[in-house]
Amino acid sequence: MAISKIVQDSINGGVAGSGPAFSAFNSLTTSLPNATFTKIPFNTEVFDTNNNFASGTFTPTVAGYYQLNSGLGLGTYIASATIFSIYKNGTEFYRGIVQPNTAVSVSSVISALAYANGTDTFEIYAFQNSGTTQTTSASSTGAWFNGSLVRAA
Amino acid sequence: MLYDKIKAIYPELTDTDFWTVITLQNDSDGKGDYIAKWEHPTLPRPTDEELA
Repeated sequence: MAISKIVQDSINGGVAGSGPAFSAFNSLTTSLPNATFTKIPFNTEVFDTNNNFASGTFTPTVAGYYQLNSGLGLGTYIASATIFSIYKNGTEFYRGIVQPNTAVSVSSVISALAYANGTDTFEIYAFQNSGTTQTTSASSTGAWFNGSLVRAA
Repeated sequence: MLYDKIKAIYPELTDTDFWTVITLQNDSDGKGDYIAKWEHPTLPRPTDEELA
């Protein structure tokens, strides 16, 4: 029997196949209120193979293990801690803390491998406690979020 | 801001409290800041009336 196309659902566990993958960036700055974890919208998609990304939220509809990555920064230097976190289903899941020791703009990358059950959501939140509102960077190179299936469930 | 209201109620809270035992959150959905987590060991969560 000739096989013309193998779809994700027909692949046994352990094979990523053509699973969901997306990449997006923030083309507009995001306002970060002091001491408040704020969701980053990543309003511009570069690609979204399974239409699983919208309004800053990645909801992979294929169950499996996903590599998630995000790079983010503030438009200025602050002396206090800055946190970039991956949220899963609205709750902090992985955290990356940046504590700068030189007077340069704050930026960092967070990366994690996470299981998704087919309805789980993933988002990026940022936190700063400089005492005043700050704004994030806004560019395809400085404020981005991407992910892809690396192993099916 | 919500942070300012909470600090006015509890001036003894430290910066570290806000990324450990307390989580203020904004989902960028137009609904504003809210308390997502309050696990301070000694100070009770402020009431909605206190935060109004």
